[in-house]
Amino acid sequence: MSWLRISLAAIAVSAALPVYAQTVTITTAGGDYGNAMKEAMWAPAAKELGYDVREETQSDGLAALKMQVTAGTVTTDIIHLGSPEGAQAAAQSLLEPLDYKIIDPNSVPAGAKSDYCYPFDSYGTVMSWNTKAFDENPPKTWAEFWDVAKFSGRRALRANAQDLIEIALLSDGVAPADVYPVLSTPEGLARAIKRLEAIKPNVSVWWTSGAQSAQLLKDGEADLVVTWNGRAQTVKADGGAVDYTFKGSVIGTDCLGVPKGAPNKEAAMKLIAAMTQPARVAKLTDFIAYGPVNPAAYEGGLIPEDRLKTLATAPENAGTSVFSNADWWVKNGEAAQKAFDEMMNR
Amino acid sequence: MTAIVDPALAADARRERRFFLSLSLPALFIVGLAAILPILWIIRQSFLTTGGEYTVGNYEKVLSSGLTWSALLTTLELSLGTLVICILLGTPLALALASARPRVANLLMAFVMLPLWTSILVRTYGWLVLLRRDGLINAALTGSGLTAEPLPLVYNFTGTLIGMVHYMLPLFLLPVYAAMRDIDANLVRAAASMGATLGHVIRTVILPLSAGGIFSGSMIVFIYTIGFFITPAVLGGGKVNPLSIRIERTLSTFQDWGSASVLGILLLVLMALIGVMFLAARRLMARNKVGAAHA
Repeated sequence: MSWLRISLAAIAVSAALPVYAQTVTITTAGGDYGNAMKEAMWAPAAKELGYDVREETQSDGLAALKMQVTAGTVTTDIIHLGSPEGAQAAAQSLLEPLDYKIIDPNSVPAGAKSDYCYPFDSYGTVMSWNTKAFDENPPKTWAEFWDVAKFSGRRALRANAQDLIEIALLSDGVAPADVYPVLSTPEGLARAIKRLEAIKPNVSVWWTSGAQSAQLLKDGEADLVVTWNGRAQTVKADGGAVDYTFKGSVIGTDCLGVPKGAPNKEAAMKLIAAMTQPARVAKLTDFIAYGPVNPAAYEGGLIPEDRLKTLATAPENAGTSVFSNADWWVKNGEAAQKAFDEMMNR
Repeated sequence: MTAIVDPALAADARRERRFFLSLSLPALFIVGLAAILPILWIIRQSFLTTGGEYTVGNYEKVLSSGLTWSALLTTLELSLGTLVICILLGTPLALALASARPRVANLLMAFVMLPLWTSILVRTYGWLVLLRRDGLINAALTGSGLTAEPLPLVYNFTGTLIGMVHYMLPLFLLPVYAAMRDIDANLVRAAASMGATLGHVIRTVILPLSAGGIFSGSMIVFIYTIGFFITPAVLGGGKVNPLSIRIERTLSTFQDWGSASVLGILLLVLMALIGVMFLAARRLMARNKVGAAHA
C-alpha cells in the first residue's frame, strides 16, 4: 500500500501549493477559436498575473453553465458565451454580476454594455459563396440570395433561428434599422418564418456547427452558405474557392461571464480585465477574423490596415449590418426557435 | 444435486451462495450508479419547472407538441427502415456464411466484424466522404455517365439510413449466423432427399429453424436504433430529426431540462414497449412450436 501513502503525500503537498499560484479555470468553445483565445488573450494575461489557468472546452457553453450552476458543482471561473446566451444566462441568474471596479467600464461601447457578460469580440453572420459556381456574379443582397430562379444553387443555412430570422426580413426588403421593430410586432416573426419556408426547398443542408459550415464551403457541397465571417475567411485564406460579403451581415458579440458561485470569483474578474486589454483582443485577429468590441483596440495601429477589411465591426463594413439584439432574443428566443422548428417540420 | 443433510454443510453452502452473490455487488453498484440513479433523476427533473417547482406542465407541453410526434414518427421510420434492410441483406449473408467452408466463413466473418472495431464517428464521416455531392460514389456515377447530375445520397433520410444499416448489420448478423450454423445439416439433406428444391429447403427448414436468431437480431437492431444520435446528426443534414435530436435541441437551444427529461422518458418507454412486444411475440412463437410438436 506504499503507493497509497505516496499519493496521499502528493495530495497534501499540492493542497499546500495554491497559496502561491492562484488557479483559474476558463471554459471556451475549443478548436481554432479556443486556441486563438488562449494564444492571444488568456495565456499572456495569466503570465502577467502569475495565475495558473486551466482550460476546459464545451461546444455548448450555456448548457454546460446551466448544468454546473443548477447541480451546484461549479468548476469553471470564466465561461465564453455568445451574447444572446449571456443575456439568457443572466436572466436565469446563472452569472455573477461583473465587477466594473476591476474591469474598465469604458472599454465597451454603450450599446453593447452588459452587467453580466463582458463582450470582447464580434463576428458577422455573412453570405458566402463558392466562386466556381458564381465567378463574377454572386448574389449581392439577401433578396438575391432568396432569388432561386436567378441564382440557382444549393443553399446551406444554420439549423437555428438566430440571425436567420433577421436575415429573412432583410431579404424581404426590411431596412436594417427596422428589423427589430418589425420582429417585435405580432406578425413580424411570422413574416420572417414564411420567408425561410419559401427558401427551404433549396436548402440542401441545415448545418449545426461552425466547423460543419466551413466544411460544406470547402467541399463545394453547397454553393451559397450563410455562415460566420471567421469561418468563411479561414476557408478563403486556406485557398478554398470561396468568397463572402459583409453587406447585410448580422453582427453578434461573444462575451465572458463568471458563473454564479464560481470558486475563484475575484481572480476571474481580474483575468477578464487583463485578457481583454486592447492589445490582446487586437492580437486575437492574428488568429481568427473576429473583431474587438473595445474601440481602443482599433486605435494606434494595433490591427494591421489590410486586416480591417476582414472584421465585421470595422468602420467600412458595419454600414449595412444589423446588430443582433440580445434583449430581443432573451424575450422572444423561445417563441422564435419554436416557430423555426415547426417550419422545419412542415 | 445431492441433498445436504448436515446442518454445518448447509450453513457452508449458504455462506458460499452469499459469497458468490456478493461478487456481483460491484457490478450491481455500477449499474445502480450509472443507470438507475440518472433515470430516477431524469424522472424527478421531468416534474420540475425551471424554477424548481413541482409541475406536470412539462408533460402537457411535450405531449401536445406536434414536434414530439413527428420526431417519434421519424424515429420509428428510421428503426423500421434499418430493420427491414438488415433482414433483407443480413439473412442471405448469414446463410452464405453458415454454408461456407469454415476457413472461408472465418475470413468473411472477419470482414463483417471489421467495421465494429472502428469508431462510429469515423465510420459516419467516412460515409460523408463517399456519399457527398463530389464524393467517390457520385464522382464515379457522373464520371461514367450513368447519371447526369450527382444523386442526393447524403444530408437526407437515405444517407442516414445507409449509415445506420452499416452500423447495425454486423450486430444483426451475429445471432442469425449462430442460429443457422447450429442447424443440423442432416435436416437439409433429408429435405433434399425427399425432393425439396433449394427454395423449398430455405423456406421450410432453414428459415423456421433460424427464426429465433432473426428474432434476436431484430430486437437488437430495433432497441439500438431507437436512440441513434450521431448518424442522423451528421448524415441527416438537419432534415432528419428523430427523438434523440429533439432531446439535444431541447437542451441546447431551449435549455428546457424538464421537457428534455420528458422526451427522454418517452424514449425509454418506447424501448420498454418494443422490448415487451418482442418478448411476448417470442413466447407466442415458442408456444406455437410446442403446440406443433404435440400435434
